[in-house]
Amino acid sequence: MTVLTTDQEGMKQIKHVSDSKGTISNLTFIIFAMVGVLVIVFTIASMIVPRFFDLATMSNLLVQQSELIIIGIGVTFIVITGRLDLSVGGVVAMAGVLSAYFAQANTRAEFSLSSGLGLPYWLAVVLTLICCMGIGAVNALFIVKFKIASIIVTLGGMSLARGIAMIIARGAQRNVGLPPEFGFFGRFSIIGTINLAVCFMIVLVLIALFVEKKTVFGRKLFLIGSNKTAADLSGIKTDRQIAQLYIISSFLAGVTGILMASKFCSGNSSIAGGYEFDALVITVLGGTSIHGGFGSVICAVIGAFILGILSTSVNMLGYPPASQLLVRGFVIVIAILAQRYALNKRNV
Amino acid sequence: MGSSNEHILEIRNLVKDFPGVRAVNDVSFNIKKNTVHCLVGENGAGKSTLIKILTGAYQRTEGTILLRGEEYSARNPKEARDNGIATLFQELNVVDQLTVEENLTLGLEDTKFGFIRSSTKIKRMVETLKDIEPSIHPKHRVSRLSVAKKQIVEIAKAAASEAEIIIMDEPTASLSEKEINRLFTIIRELRKKNVTVIYISHRLDEIMELGDMVTVMRDGKHIATKPVSEVKDRSELIHMMIGKTVFEEYVPRETSSMEPLLTAKGISNSKLKDLSFHVNKGEIIGFYGLVGSGKTELASALYGIDRYSGEFVFKGKPLKGGPSDAIASGIALVPEERRTQGIFPNLTIRMNIPVMNMKHITKRNIIRDHLDRKTAKEYITKLNIVTDTTEKELSKLSGGNQQKVVFSKCLFADSDLLILDEPTRGVDVGAKSEIYSIVRHLSEQGTSIIVFSSELQEILYSCDRIYLLFDGVLKAEIKNGPDVDTAKIIHIATGGM
Repeated sequence: MTVLTTDQEGMKQIKHVSDSKGTISNLTFIIFAMVGVLVIVFTIASMIVPRFFDLATMSNLLVQQSELIIIGIGVTFIVITGRLDLSVGGVVAMAGVLSAYFAQANTRAEFSLSSGLGLPYWLAVVLTLICCMGIGAVNALFIVKFKIASIIVTLGGMSLARGIAMIIARGAQRNVGLPPEFGFFGRFSIIGTINLAVCFMIVLVLIALFVEKKTVFGRKLFLIGSNKTAADLSGIKTDRQIAQLYIISSFLAGVTGILMASKFCSGNSSIAGGYEFDALVITVLGGTSIHGGFGSVICAVIGAFILGILSTSVNMLGYPPASQLLVRGFVIVIAILAQRYALNKRNV
Repeated sequence: MGSSNEHILEIRNLVKDFPGVRAVNDVSFNIKKNTVHCLVGENGAGKSTLIKILTGAYQRTEGTILLRGEEYSARNPKEARDNGIATLFQELNVVDQLTVEENLTLGLEDTKFGFIRSSTKIKRMVETLKDIEPSIHPKHRVSRLSVAKKQIVEIAKAAASEAEIIIMDEPTASLSEKEINRLFTIIRELRKKNVTVIYISHRLDEIMELGDMVTVMRDGKHIATKPVSEVKDRSELIHMMIGKTVFEEYVPRETSSMEPLLTAKGISNSKLKDLSFHVNKGEIIGFYGLVGSGKTELASALYGIDRYSGEFVFKGKPLKGGPSDAIASGIALVPEERRTQGIFPNLTIRMNIPVMNMKHITKRNIIRDHLDRKTAKEYITKLNIVTDTTEKELSKLSGGNQQKVVFSKCLFADSDLLILDEPTRGVDVGAKSEIYSIVRHLSEQGTSIIVFSSELQEILYSCDRIYLLFDGVLKAEIKNGPDVDTAKIIHIATGGM
C-alpha cells in the first residue's frame, strides 16, 4: 500500500542501485595514497642514503618492523573501535622477562638473576602468554566494567607490565642458564635475517585482514567504533568484544616479546621502550582514524614501513638519534595532515 | 525588485554546486523586514544549503545576496554574526558545563590580561534573557535546563547581540506543545523589536500559525514565496513541497479480538509509576505524551536498557536481560535520537542494515558477501531509500533516508514487536508518510507496533489504540477513530483530568 506517490520518487525507485561506489571507497583511497607515500619515501631513501638499497638493509628493516607490526595488529583493532592500548610496550618486556624466568634452569643459586623456574620451554611460553593475557584482562576489566577511559587504564597497564618485568629482572636482564631451545625462534631463519617474526607477521596480517573484512567479529569493530550506543541498541555485546580485543592485543604483544627475547637470548626488562607509541604511530600513520570506525590492519603495515625507512635512513646518514626523533615527528604530522586534507577534498 | 528598505535580504539567482549535485538551483526571493519568513521543503530540497550560505558555512557557486541593499557574502559564521545574522541550529550550541550567564557571553568576553572582566555587555545579555524568560536564572548551570530553555538561552544570545536576522532551524523538533507556544510568543516579541526571523520547520501547522511569509523549495529550486494568509491550508503547502500528493487517512481497526502479544504488569522505576497495559498481535498502539512524560523511559524499560520493577510478559514469557535478549526474543527498537542511537554515521548503508540480525548474512560467523549486498539492495528498494549505491556512508544521506535505514535495520531483525520512539522526528513530509505506510503494512502482516510520539497527528495517523501518559502515569486508554476528541486528549496529556 502506498500512501504517497510522487513523480520523482517513482523515478528514483526505478533507478538502478549499484553495489559499488563507482569510485573507490575512502579507505581504499587512503591506502593507495599511503602506498604512494611509501613508494616516494622509499625512492628518496634509495637515492640519497648510501647502501640503503641493499639486500641486508632491506631484510633488517623487514625484521625490525615485523615485530612492531604484530603489535600493531591488536592496536589497530582497538583503535578502530575508538579506543587505545598503550600497555603493549610494557607487555613485550614482561613477556620477554617472564619467558626467560620460567625457562631458566633452577640452580637455587644465591644470585637470583641466574636462577629461574626451570620449566620446559614450551610451558614457559604458554605460561608467559597467559600472564600477558592477564594484563589485557585487567585493562578490559577497568575499561568495560568500571567505564574508565582506555588511555588512562592502559597507561596503568603499561606501568604494571613494565613494573613486573623490572622486578623479575631486577631492572636488568635474565640471560644466564637459558635452555638451548630458548634461542630457537630467534635462530630460525629462512634466508639471511628473515626469521620467524617475519613469517608470523605475514600469517597474522593475513588472518587479521580476513577477520577484519569477512567476519562478524571484524564488522563489529567498525560498528562499535562508528557508534557504540547504536551498536548496544542493535543488540551487539560491545563490552564483551572490547574485552576480547584487549586480551588479543596483549597476547600479540606477548608473542612479540617472546620472539624478541629468543632473538637476543635474553629477557630484558628495558626492551621495547616506546613501542606502545610506535605501534600507535604506525596505525595512525597508515590511515586508521583515531576517532574510530575507519581503518585497516594493512594501514599499520604501510605505516610501519614508512616509519622504518625514515628511522633507518636517518640512522645510516649518521645523524644523532635526537634528529631522528625530529624527522619522525615532522613526517608524522605532515602525513596525517595530508590524509585529512585529501579526505576532506574528496568528501566535499 | 522591491525597494531595498523594505527587504532586508534579497537573494538573486543563487546557485550552489556540490560534486554531482546542484543543491541550490537558481534561487531568487526576498525577505521582508520584521517578518517571520518560513522556509519549507522536503529534506534535500536545498533549505539547509541555502541557510549555510547565508551563515557563511558554505560558499556559493554563483549569484548575489543583498543584505540591507548591499552586496553580502560571509566567509565564515563569525562574519555572518558581525553582519547581524544569528543562527539557532538544530544541534544546540550551548555548553552544558557552563552557567547560563557564561553561555550568553561565550565568545564575546571582554578580557584584560587574559582574565574575563564583568562588563555592561554581560548585564545587557542578562537583561535580555530576563525580558524573554524570567524563570531562567543566569547563575544556573545549563545542564540543568530543559531543551526548550536551552533554546531560549540561545535566542536571548542572538537577540542581545543585536542580530537583525535570526535563523531558526527546526527549533521545535524536541519541544512539547506548551514549550512551543512559549517559543512562539517569544518569536512574536522579537518581531516587534525589529528582528526578522527565518524559520525552518517540517511542522506545517506551526508555519500556518506563526509565519508571515512562506517560501517553498523543492529539489534545490524555488517554487513559491507568498504571504501565509494567502495559503489555503497545509495540504496546499504539502502540494507545493512534493508535487503531487495523495494522503490517505488511517482507518483504525477493531483489535480487541486479537490475541495478546505483550502484557505489562505494574512497570515502575524512578520515572514510571505502576504502568499496566497490553499489546495485541498485529495491533498498532500509540503512547502519546509530552516530552518528559515517560515515553522514552518506558521504551527503554521494555527494551531492557533501563531497570524497572514489574513484569513484561512477551509471547507468554517474562522479558529479561538487555537489548540483545530483547532482539533475540523478537523485539526491535527504532530509537528516539537517530544520530546518536540509531545510525553508524561513517559506515555504508550495506554495513548499517544487517546489524541486528547478522546471522542472516553469515555462515559460521563469516560474512557472505552476496547476502550482504543483496540485503542492502533489497531494503533500499523496499523502503525507497534515495541513493545510487549501497556503498554510501549514512552521514551523506538526508534525515528521512537515514531514518529509513534505521527502519531497515529493525525490519531485517524480523521481529514480532516493533518499538518506535519518535519515528518521524526531523523527517520531511514525504518520508513521513512513507514511514506511516511501512508501519501499516507491517501490522497487516501481523507485526505489533508501539509508537511513542509527542506529535498527536502522528498518533492519530497510525494507531488503533492510544494510551495517554503524563508524568510517568498512564492517564487514559482511548480507541482511535474518526470521532476521537483531540481537545480532550491534549487536555489529559498536559495534566488535566
